[in-house]
Amino acid sequence: MERAHIPLNAPPVLEVRQLVKCYKGSETPAVDGLSFTVREGEIFGLLGPNGAGKTTAISIICTLLPPTAGSVLLCSQDIAKHPSEARALFGLAPQEIALYATLTARENLRYFGRLYGLSGPPLSRRIDECLALAGLENSGDKRVDTFSGGMKRRANLAAAILHAPRLLFLDEPTVGIDAQSRNTILENLTALRDAGTTIVYTTHYMEEAEQLCDRVAVMDRGRIVAEGAPADLVGRAEDCANLEQLFLRLTGKQLRD
Amino acid sequence: MSLLRSIIATILKELLELRRDRAGLMVLLVMPMALVLILSLVQDSVMQATGEAPIKVLFADSDNGFLGQAIQKRLRDAGGLELVTNLRGTALTEAGARKAVARGDFQFCVVIPKGSGEALRSRLRIQAADSLSTKGKRPAARIAPPTDNALAVHFDPAVQGAFRTAVVNALRQVLLGIEMTERGAAFSETLPAELKKIVGESLPTWPGMSGAIALPDIRFEMATGPVLKLTETVAQGGSRFLKRPTAAQHNVPAWTLFGMFFIVVPLSGSLIRERQSGTYRKLMAMPVSPTGLLAGKIAAYVLVCMVQFALMLAVGSWVLPLLGTSGLVPGPEFLTVVPIALAAALAAAGYGIMVGTLSRSYEQASMFGAVSIVIAAALGGIMVPVYVMPRFMQQISGLSPLAWGLNGFQDVFVRGGGVQAAGADILRLLAFFAVTVVVSRIAIRGADNG
Repeated sequence: MERAHIPLNAPPVLEVRQLVKCYKGSETPAVDGLSFTVREGEIFGLLGPNGAGKTTAISIICTLLPPTAGSVLLCSQDIAKHPSEARALFGLAPQEIALYATLTARENLRYFGRLYGLSGPPLSRRIDECLALAGLENSGDKRVDTFSGGMKRRANLAAAILHAPRLLFLDEPTVGIDAQSRNTILENLTALRDAGTTIVYTTHYMEEAEQLCDRVAVMDRGRIVAEGAPADLVGRAEDCANLEQLFLRLTGKQLRD
Repeated sequence: MSLLRSIIATILKELLELRRDRAGLMVLLVMPMALVLILSLVQDSVMQATGEAPIKVLFADSDNGFLGQAIQKRLRDAGGLELVTNLRGTALTEAGARKAVARGDFQFCVVIPKGSGEALRSRLRIQAADSLSTKGKRPAARIAPPTDNALAVHFDPAVQGAFRTAVVNALRQVLLGIEMTERGAAFSETLPAELKKIVGESLPTWPGMSGAIALPDIRFEMATGPVLKLTETVAQGGSRFLKRPTAAQHNVPAWTLFGMFFIVVPLSGSLIRERQSGTYRKLMAMPVSPTGLLAGKIAAYVLVCMVQFALMLAVGSWVLPLLGTSGLVPGPEFLTVVPIALAAALAAAGYGIMVGTLSRSYEQASMFGAVSIVIAAALGGIMVPVYVMPRFMQQISGLSPLAWGLNGFQDVFVRGGGVQAAGADILRLLAFFAVTVVVSRIAIRGADNG
């Protein structure tokens, strides 16, 4: 997978500014002054151990949670002021298989497509394109509960790109699947990036992030502790041969539950 | 436009999901129909046994006289009891009748012991003679006590109290009539003889009045029919048209409501599955109104409830009569039941949404949802009519949405009322729907805000 060069003057698609989220009853904030920018056509990796605040940050950016403080601009629009418009600009593939298990992949896509305002032949064409991109062109009419883990993940991705979003959020899209499905998904993401889609991506697989992401941000305890291109980050750190070693140095080796 | 689009898309998706859920469909469509069929057949039989149809009673007449004939004739004329005097071609004896009741083949037997007719007449003659007295000449009390050879009724111990009372009251009424007739006959016989005797003893003491005096015949042929007539009318509107409620008129609307409210299980389950699978997060991150998604879900299940309702009406109106029991006989304003059914369907869907929103797991929702519906059904008079419940239960019953729905249906099916009659119940159901939706929205908003 060849990494595309993202010019520094590419317009920002996502600007996160001093984001804070405090849950009721919790003494420490889940997100504590988070700031980063994602430029157009970039694959941005949000890395961190369990409880680092990645999912909370994505939930706020996706308008699912209100922030305690800070702001998020999506294509220069404040999502707090224009949540509905913002939702039309991004796609979300959550960590869970967010599909209806008793419906077929095609029926699932048809439902989500209708909610995005698609209908008729354009919707049918787009469903076929997304199924083909996910490698499910021959399984579209099978029920999702008959799919393997990898097929479900790919169908989850197909549902997130149905309306051709400018920004795609992927929350651990390759967890628990075989090497073949993972490879297909990573190839698909590269193809999407090459077609102009900006991607924000969380994962626990450092090798995968190193291979796929143009830039990464390592989060711990709600804050960013390192940010930059994976090769630059690894190169700047002494005695770190790869991103995984750097990650463990930055976030520690103690267990996070 | 976007709201309408999301409502229609959600309705189609929900119906597709329901179509694939065979167990859910069984609960929603087949279970209420089975309940209506079984309970209507059973309760119709009970209602017939407790007054809607003659009760079969064994009748062993060892006296073979006027008393047995009179009792048989009067019971047959009254129509409340059907007398069985032969079993397998043989005339019933007291021992045979008691054995058949003891076996549980029959619930009652009436036995007229030998000589009881003659004993009755003899006692009445004595009573008639003893009741006539002249000044200073009171006869000695000779009123005979009841004898051993009195009429007897033998019960199967399993027979319920109300059933026993109905049979005993019917027999007492017949016996009272026979006693009145026989008492009149005894007086007709005794009074002229006593009068002649008294007059004959008194006249010779009056100058010029000796000799025989012809006294008129005195007869006591009293009519045993009721002199005071009792009429039955419907309290509402004072109509003389009296429609007796059949088992179907209670069971069809009652179990339809039960089935409608049972959508709480699949509906709350659908909401929880969406939450657990991440679909809810995905939907909330889409440019659609949560109100549209909720409205689509509610509309789909209301549609299912209305299909349930139509199927249950069809079963009540056409299938039950085919099985030999009384079917549903709708009142003149039949279409009034549609708004009642719609209001009940909305209340049921709202309750399902609320249970699904407040529950944390599918197990919790399905258990709480199902049990709460059974309790609300019991309180609401679905299983036992409210008027037979203790007073404090009747007061609690008024809190059950199923009671409001049932009362609304009864207003149309039994009381012959229109939409005005069921208006208060429709409003209660709609208010319940509004409250459940508001509670759900508050709970969803609270959860979404973390």
